[in-house]
Parts: sequence; structure tokens; C-alpha cells
Amino acid sequence: MRLLKPLLPALIAIILIVLDARFSYLDNLKRNSNTLLTPIYFLVDLPAQMMSWVSDKGSDTDQLISENEQLTNELFELKAKLQIYNNLVLENQKISRLIDASYTLPANAVKLARIKSISQSRLKRQLVINKGSNDNILTSQIVLGANGIVGQVIQSTPLYATVQLTTDPTQHIPVKNIRNGARGITKGLASNESGMKVEFMPSATDVKLGDIFVTSGIGGTYPSGYPVGEVIEVSTPHNEAFLLIRLKPLEDMNTLEFVLVVSEPL
Amino acid sequence: MNRQRPQILLFKLTLISALLSAISLPAMIQSAAPFWMLIFFTYWLIYAETKAVYSFALLLGLLLDLLHGNVFGQNALALIASTVFILNVKKSFYVSNLSTQQVYVFVASLIYLFITICVHWITQGFDFSYLIFLTPLTGAILWPIVYFLLAKLKH
Repeated sequence: MRLLKPLLPALIAIILIVLDARFSYLDNLKRNSNTLLTPIYFLVDLPAQMMSWVSDKGSDTDQLISENEQLTNELFELKAKLQIYNNLVLENQKISRLIDASYTLPANAVKLARIKSISQSRLKRQLVINKGSNDNILTSQIVLGANGIVGQVIQSTPLYATVQLTTDPTQHIPVKNIRNGARGITKGLASNESGMKVEFMPSATDVKLGDIFVTSGIGGTYPSGYPVGEVIEVSTPHNEAFLLIRLKPLEDMNTLEFVLVVSEPL
Repeated sequence: MNRQRPQILLFKLTLISALLSAISLPAMIQSAAPFWMLIFFTYWLIYAETKAVYSFALLLGLLLDLLHGNVFGQNALALIASTVFILNVKKSFYVSNLSTQQVYVFVASLIYLFITICVHWITQGFDFSYLIFLTPLTGAILWPIVYFLLAKLKH
């Protein structure tokens, strides 16, 4: 009799697991319920926010002047690089017109967001950012770091959004080798702290250590041309039709502070 | 001694464990961190006399699933299974010394881990950081500290 009591709650939990894992019936419920948890997120993030505030207020004038100089120099450098990039874009457009190609360089609007110090499931690779549906952050938008792609928004509440990292085992990104255009699909490896592997690349494909893979844009979920990772291991397992390729993400997920959320096209 | 109503104590414990489990830690430490909600709920189960414990376990598990972005029901099922074990050893737990209590917490965490990994395996595949297997151990090691701190909170 004592074992009968937990049966009903356990059954409810199992039904919820099936509904959530196999279907999308609970998405709305989860999103609305998550909004109610915003105060908990706020409380957890409060110490980090206070530290940041104290650090900002505590900065002395000399330090600010020095930082300002450094940023001005970086801005000049980036402006110079931008001129080269603009020239390349123009050149690309001319060549595209000449060969009548349908491929165009991506141009998307981006929003800056800060990573919150809120932990997510230990079985997943996710993080929380300080922008949500109030800032037009929507599910399935792409998130970028300074060096490459970070992940995809999987949930958005009014004040916060959850980003699933490219290193999560459930994230699959269509990619291509920037050197020769060879295509494959990445999959996150949770057992490795920050790794990915590339699947479905035939064993005869030319892949070398140090090759960079970028998003191929196939499938339409990820826009093309964003860096994903660098090859750190290539091997051909015995009697296997596909290469075993391990990638190291170009973006260090552990040191991220700010990210860019790619929204609607410009 | 003036004891709190079980529901008020549970509310406080839930809030503390939700906050603790949402604090961001380095990936390695986070993988091996104890199941805070289970440890705090175990304390409540042992020292609070109340009915409908499985309904509370279901609700707290669902809260944790929402907070951590897990499959909805994963932590709920794990918490219910661990609750069955804790209630079976409740009388013994109450009168045991700390080291025996640590063994009980270890077993409860092991059950919790087993259910969590099974659900993860079925829904998303067998791919996770193996440091998670340290979780029952860290839970058992930290139990005495949690026990003394919660004893202060209870009164």
C-alpha cells in the first residue's frame, strides 16, 4: 500500500517527460511558467550585478582614460579592417553578378546581450542572457561571440533568454570547410567539456588539422559564413565510411561576457 | 522550542536550494555539485510531519526542471523515487548518527542520479560529463554542513 502512494505522481512525471521530449505540447506552459521564475534569476544574478556595479564605480579616472585610449585605438584598427571588408563585399557582389550566382554574404541586425551568472542543467550546455522577448529576442535566433558562433536561443521570457550552446549534444549545425567547401554536420560532445565532432564526411574528404569550419547555411536555421570551430583531430576509423573529426569551438564559452543575438535581416 | 509549520520550512528550503542550484559555477564543479534540492528535501522529509509528500516532490521537481531547462518531469521523477527510499528509512535516519545519515544521503543521491541519467539517455542519448558520477559522493560529504545549517534555520 505504501508503494502505491507515489505511483500517481510518478505516472504524472512520466507522462510529462513523454509529452515534453516527444512532442511540443508543453512549450507554451514552460515559457509562461519560466516567466514566474524571473525573481529567482534576478536574486541569483544580484551578487554578480553588484560586483559589476562596484567595479564600475570604483574605477579611477586614470584607468578610465587608459581604457578609453585603448578602445579608441582598437576602433581605428577595426575601421581600417572594415574598409578592406567593404571592398571585399563590393568585389564579391561584382563577381556574383558576373557569374550570376545566388550566393550573397549575410547581413543581419544584431543585439548586444550580457551573459548572466545563472547556472543551467548539468546535463546540458546552456546559458542565460539578459535580453528577452521585451527586446525582441525570439526562439531560434542565432547567438554570436567575438570569434564565432555561440549557439541558438531556445527559450525567451520577457527579461531573459536561454541559449543552447553549439557544444550541446542536441545541437546540429550544417557546416562547410572554409578551405575546400567540404560539407558536414557538427554535433556537440557533452562528455568533452568544450568539444564538437563533425559527422557524415566521407573518409576520402580532404580535411587537415587547423582547418576552419563555418556555417554552410543549408537548412536555413543558421545563416551561412559564421565561424564554428577549428579541426583538432582527424582520423579514419577502421571499416568506417566517414571520417572522425573533432572540432574545438572558436569561441571560448567559459570566458564569454557579452554576446550578439542575430535578429531579423537588415 | 518554537518549531515552524512544515510548509513554511519547505518554502524556505525550496528557495535556498533553488538559489544554490542556480548559482553559476565552473563547468567541472557544476557537474559534480550535489543535488541541492534532494538534500534539502531529505532534511524536510525527516524532520517535518506532513502528508502529501509525493505531491510536494512532484511540484519541487517540476520547479527544478523549469529552472534548469531540463526535460519537464525529469527531476520530478527522480525526486519522487528518492523520496520513496528516504521514507522507507525515515525512522532509522532520525535516530542515526551523522555517518549513517551520510550513507542514506549517498543512496538517495544515487537513485536520483540513476533516474536522471536514464531519462537523459532515453530522451537525448548517453552523452554527458562523467564528473556527474561524483554527485552522490559530494552530496554525502556536504550533508553534515547542510544538516547543521538547516537545524539553525528550522528553529
